[in-house]
Amino acid sequence: MKPLTSFMNSVWIAENDLRQSFKSVRHVVWSLLFPIFMMFTFSFRYGAVGPETDFIQFLIPGIVGMTAMFGSTNETMSIVWDKSMGVFDRILAAPVSSTSIIVGKTMAGAVMGILNAFVLLIIGRVLYGVAFVNIGLVLLIVVLASFSFTGIGTIISGLASEPREAMMLSNLLRFPMMFLGGVFFSVDEMPQPLPYVARALPLTYATEGLRAIQTWSIPIVLMDATVLLAYTIVTMLVGSKILMRLMTR
Amino acid sequence: MENEIEVKELTKFYGSLIAVDKVSFEVKSKEIFGLLGPNGAGKTTTIRMICGMLRPTGGRAVIAGFDVSQKPQEVKRRIGLVPDISNLFGELSARVNLEFMGKLYGLDRKTRRERIDQVLELFQLKDRQNDLVKYYSKGMHRRLTIAAALLHQPEILIMDEPTSGLDAQTARLVREIILDLNKEGRTVLITTHQIDEADKLTQRVGIIDHGRLIALDTPEQLKNSTEGMHALEIKIFDEVDQQRWIPIILKAEGVETVFLAEGKIRVLSKDLAQIIPTVVSLVDKHGGKIENILVLQPTLEDAFINLTGKSIREEPVSKEEYLKSRLPRTRMR
Repeated sequence: MKPLTSFMNSVWIAENDLRQSFKSVRHVVWSLLFPIFMMFTFSFRYGAVGPETDFIQFLIPGIVGMTAMFGSTNETMSIVWDKSMGVFDRILAAPVSSTSIIVGKTMAGAVMGILNAFVLLIIGRVLYGVAFVNIGLVLLIVVLASFSFTGIGTIISGLASEPREAMMLSNLLRFPMMFLGGVFFSVDEMPQPLPYVARALPLTYATEGLRAIQTWSIPIVLMDATVLLAYTIVTMLVGSKILMRLMTR
Repeated sequence: MENEIEVKELTKFYGSLIAVDKVSFEVKSKEIFGLLGPNGAGKTTTIRMICGMLRPTGGRAVIAGFDVSQKPQEVKRRIGLVPDISNLFGELSARVNLEFMGKLYGLDRKTRRERIDQVLELFQLKDRQNDLVKYYSKGMHRRLTIAAALLHQPEILIMDEPTSGLDAQTARLVREIILDLNKEGRTVLITTHQIDEADKLTQRVGIIDHGRLIALDTPEQLKNSTEGMHALEIKIFDEVDQQRWIPIILKAEGVETVFLAEGKIRVLSKDLAQIIPTVVSLVDKHGGKIENILVLQPTLEDAFINLTGKSIREEPVSKEEYLKSRLPRTRMR
């Protein structure tokens, strides 16, 4: 198949996925409400204790990374929904390559992560005045993070046999990751051996990278970007292997 | 081309469970071919392998000259598949669903719009085209599913249980559509568990049971497999249950098959003269009273039961068969 046709098929699949996500207002609101709620809660609780501006400066990048995580992984749940509703068969019956399907689903997940993260970025800017030093670098980290979260979501969706199982599995991963990924507390403050656990989670690198942009520590940003890229590649490879097996039984 | 679909010894194992066992058949160009069998017989698994959605354990399928395991995209482009469950995107409108399918089949914007208008008109869905599909009735779902399979104007239509679960009126409409599509020169492969549907629609029919193709012929010829036989329809005065008479009547000499159809006992036999008195005396001996006896020509259903040894209305009962019928969809690993 021609590469352009193949790519366009991915675009159609991603568009179709996102269209369904945006069709239901509830879906959009819920997925944004959670990070917003977390942002408010932690800014009220801890913002008042220390020097307020500092904590907000610390919190917002973490929240942005976390939002990308929830946005992307939520979107990849569409895979397991499609499987259970039989609509996955519809795409399988069409002259579309397995690669196109995987790329399409991945694009949808990443786009959702990026969009959600930017909504929170804007809210942080408007409400708390947290401005990002360099939007290009923010984009770099958010994009890479969203892709690696999408890879994780794809693995979960591919392994789960039905939606409930997928939701449980993904929450089993997302909630600990939220607290250990340096969103609300710095990884360095954690007691041993938690920093080691944190270092295994992609969210840690997303939050660290976003914070490093604020302090203009470019080497750290680049290192985090590299780790996220590695995460993306590995999770994508594993995820597509699982999906491929699913599609070519 | 002589044969649009050629299936040779197609086999599918799920672990040690055999779902399709060396099934071979050909579908000629421009004919309506039916695969008839009870639920869990392996019809859907066969269809999925033909359409390139499931990898066969053995054997091969050649569609429009392309081997499906080597050129799945070429095959998929040439067939329109109507799956057994109406699998459309419920959160999207009918039009958006069709748009998506049109895009996946590589239709440009203008062609898409024309064809979508065309099929919506044909299937009487134009007024509801912008409603979300999840609010559609079952009949509308089915119509839209067929519409979606026609957008790219495939030469070959493969329909898995096209009328299953539909009310009589919609089922009739769907059958008329299938006949029209065939008249337009399309090759049609349908699966069904309804014998009268196979009888009405198909030019040739293959009977599949336990994953094996056990007979393949025209509906007329299959009826002839009961050649020389007569069907007796017996109604016995019995308020409890007609079922208990089956083993009793089966003992009578000259009886080929006995089964229950629509509350009446049906006996297949070659020797009418001998069988009627024997049955009457047997029923009498067991304290029953015959309400009436009819002598009839065997139907396709009689032929089916004679060949498979069971009524098609029976649901698969064993756990194994249940699992087998469920496997292709639920467990996707």
